[in-house]
Amino acid sequence: MRRHLSLACALLLTLATAAPIAQQLDRKKAPTPSRIPELRVPTWTSGKLSNGAQLLVAERRGLPLISFTISFVGGTNQFETPDKLGVAAFTTAMMREGTRTRDAEALALALQMLGTNVGAGVGDESGSVSFLATTETFAPTLEILADMLLNPTFPAPALERLRAQRLIALAQQNAQPGFIGDRVFSRVLYGTAHPFGQTVDESSIKAATRDDVAAFHKAYFQPGRAIVTVVGDIDTAGAKAAVEKVLSGWTAGGAKPPFTYPAIPEARATAIYLVDKPGAKQSVFNIGLPGPPRNTPDYMALQVMNFILGGHFQSRLNANIREEKGYSYGVNSGFSYGKGPGPFRAGGDVVSEKTDAGLVEFMKELRGIHGGRPITDEEMQTARETLIQRLPSQFSSVTAIGSTITNLYVQDLPPDYYQNYAKAVSAITKDDVLRVAKKYVDLDHLNIVIVGDRKSIEGPLKATGIAPIVVLDADGVQK
Amino acid sequence: MNTRFRLPLIALMGLALTVATPQAQQAKPAARTSTPINIPFEQYTLPNGLRVILSQDKATPTVAVNLWYHVGSKNEEAGRTGFAHLFEHVMFTGSGNIPYGTHDKLTNGVGGSNNGTTDNDRTLYYETVPANYLETAIWLEADRMGYLLDALDIAKLNAQRDIVKNERRQRVDNQPYGRVGEILSASMYPQGHPYSWSVIGSMEDLSAASEEDVKSFFRLYYAPNNAILTIVGDIDPARTKQWITKYFSGVERGKAITRPGIEPVNLSTEKRLVYEDKVPLPRLHVQWPTVGARHPDVFALSVLGSVLSSGRTARLTKALVYDKQAAASIGAFQSTSEDVGEFSLTVTPRAGSTLTSLEQEADAIIEKLKAEGPTTQELQLATASQELQFVSGLQSNLGKSNQLADGAGYQNNPAYYRTAYDARRAVTPGDVKRVAGKYLTKGRVVLSVVPEGKPELAAKPEASQKVGPADKLGSGGEVN
Repeated sequence: MRRHLSLACALLLTLATAAPIAQQLDRKKAPTPSRIPELRVPTWTSGKLSNGAQLLVAERRGLPLISFTISFVGGTNQFETPDKLGVAAFTTAMMREGTRTRDAEALALALQMLGTNVGAGVGDESGSVSFLATTETFAPTLEILADMLLNPTFPAPALERLRAQRLIALAQQNAQPGFIGDRVFSRVLYGTAHPFGQTVDESSIKAATRDDVAAFHKAYFQPGRAIVTVVGDIDTAGAKAAVEKVLSGWTAGGAKPPFTYPAIPEARATAIYLVDKPGAKQSVFNIGLPGPPRNTPDYMALQVMNFILGGHFQSRLNANIREEKGYSYGVNSGFSYGKGPGPFRAGGDVVSEKTDAGLVEFMKELRGIHGGRPITDEEMQTARETLIQRLPSQFSSVTAIGSTITNLYVQDLPPDYYQNYAKAVSAITKDDVLRVAKKYVDLDHLNIVIVGDRKSIEGPLKATGIAPIVVLDADGVQK
Repeated sequence: MNTRFRLPLIALMGLALTVATPQAQQAKPAARTSTPINIPFEQYTLPNGLRVILSQDKATPTVAVNLWYHVGSKNEEAGRTGFAHLFEHVMFTGSGNIPYGTHDKLTNGVGGSNNGTTDNDRTLYYETVPANYLETAIWLEADRMGYLLDALDIAKLNAQRDIVKNERRQRVDNQPYGRVGEILSASMYPQGHPYSWSVIGSMEDLSAASEEDVKSFFRLYYAPNNAILTIVGDIDPARTKQWITKYFSGVERGKAITRPGIEPVNLSTEKRLVYEDKVPLPRLHVQWPTVGARHPDVFALSVLGSVLSSGRTARLTKALVYDKQAAASIGAFQSTSEDVGEFSLTVTPRAGSTLTSLEQEADAIIEKLKAEGPTTQELQLATASQELQFVSGLQSNLGKSNQLADGAGYQNNPAYYRTAYDARRAVTPGDVKRVAGKYLTKGRVVLSVVPEGKPELAAKPEASQKVGPADKLGSGGEVN
């Protein structure tokens, strides 16, 4: 794919053209970009394995690399029970602790010798088991992945070690203001009766048993909800043969789960939820409310709206609060799209002495996107260009291609989604942006969660008159 | 490494040397057909001294433009720490012909990205842009190299100063264990040594920087003869060269830069420190002075780190995390800067084990390795992932530009990544044994970070000296 060019040739060209051009140059004039490069969306095949799992294969030659992923539709929100949070994480960690033919060390040594690593994890609404390999190490790594998936032994002593490590990790996280902010924000928005408001804690870590792990493994890792995605230096027939060979013992079963969520708590009037972190040098802001699912017809308008509000460096929020005011190292906003009502959130870390002033500016920009500050043509154009022209980065590596195309199937989007993407973005108008801002950024029902030094920030926050203050502890419980 | 804006650190941003990882085989050594370890490129130098490296890769219609300046925190003066990084921020405030905001608009705002990053040795700026915006990115970089001072004013400097102070709060002061790096540097290097202060600098020094400081720093270091322009991606090399000439050839060469030789340090004795922080659990940091990027021992030191802690069967990990279960996690690795290096050990204890006992147990394992050296299998494990790491890195234009630029800047050889790759694989058990014996000596810093009010949780608390939150440090080892 590449070749060396002559060095001498380059030098000659440079020397010959240097001086004259430099003299006439108008440096104030931005170069005119040539035509937008054509988006090359990779093609892929979609088929079925004999056990019913879906198989997606995208051939991408050029480098001897293959990305392999088995994704599972449904995650902890669908497959964990509230009293057993964290069992999924234990299960994926325990899949490294030995199989019927390899103990944990043998498994680790085999992968390390191959230079590969099998990753496994379960998120809120989907999970995966995956690796990246060279063409040469693909088959032996796949064989190990299959062994970990199908034949784990879950030795009980390993669970106790993992439990102790997790308790330590949790203690470390609890000292981080950002972690506390995330947790309290989700509890304030969704309450502890909703999966979105539930988080792993000390008692759930202590409660998980080996039986829970084995049961979760059996229930969750089923081909009926699996999407096997293979991308890189391999064709469909080769991928299918390799997968069928190692997964022959993985028999049909399971289905995609329904994504039914309990109702979210009734929206409450805008309030400031203050969590004390004595001596904190910065206040961690999370401002928001429950948002729409990924399949909302307003998705594209929301993408444009959020881009303008807080989705890039020169967005309204960051340009104002970081660049102009200097209150922060960076603020932003975004939606968490999935099957359920993921949150809209605006936030960032603001220097303690400017906590009140920072909140005033956040509110100003949120009101602005409601129409207080009209959207300009330039903002619309920048949003459009960025959203369209950044697509190639979603296809820039075998791993990125795999996750981009898998996501289409996980989110039930059409396979030609990216072919029509530019058109869909271009169709969004200022009116659309204004409409979705009003609909989804509800200023009367905002949850403003601030983690900071209560002693110094509570008075000034109150003085802003923006909203009443409710003091919560680090678990989000009212004090 | 401090950056302008929150972003994941780019893989391979530093020297490839510290990347501890592997490639493959099971009982059938060496004979495997391996991927050519190659990034094709061409290089040349403009009459004003700007070095140019071009590498074409048409896999994605994007281009990475990487401008590497040979200046970092080690070029600062006492009382002006944090300046190189503050300056990095100033570089995004507009230049003589290009108003503030345009840079972001024509990179971020067209689907690309931009950032800057500063470490002890170098400051680099990059844009990744759709291929049709390559000329624009060259224009942007050339203008701030040539005409930054035409647009500089003190208000802009002050705004960026506040932002950098917020960056320090976010990364250092408001983070548990956040001050560890600067305490270790200040303890390892003598006062005034260019590696004794942190890249982010002190709040006090950040307040002290003047407009004149900015101007003289810029004139000396931000000149074409101190820079490397690396462009990687979907480019037409001939047109790219024309654009480089068009925009950069008019930028005047700067003064010659004298670079005082910076020597690594030795510690003749062990320095024991305890720092009380807002942390839930104690943590042990041990650091030995080693050597910098042009010293051949860095490869064996990197492998030594892997043998001790990369993978479940690595010596420290197996013994302390798995067999004895005394540690929750453990890491050992060589970090390599241009002129100096450090070998670091970090241990987080499990409930019921003390930092004192963990230090002793880790020392015993290291002593055993120093006496017997590693096995051949341990070396295979330590290098087994190198090929996959390298080949997957070829998918990133930015990653490749960093490798080429670092090689050119530190080794005068853009293809140095290949030398490093081979040298790391050529390390023998004898090499590892030798460097372990040579560097992992009693001359080291042992820092216990403990929860406030619990200095007794330190390793050997009676022998450890307290470090306060505001202590001026800088009492480190002696220069060779």
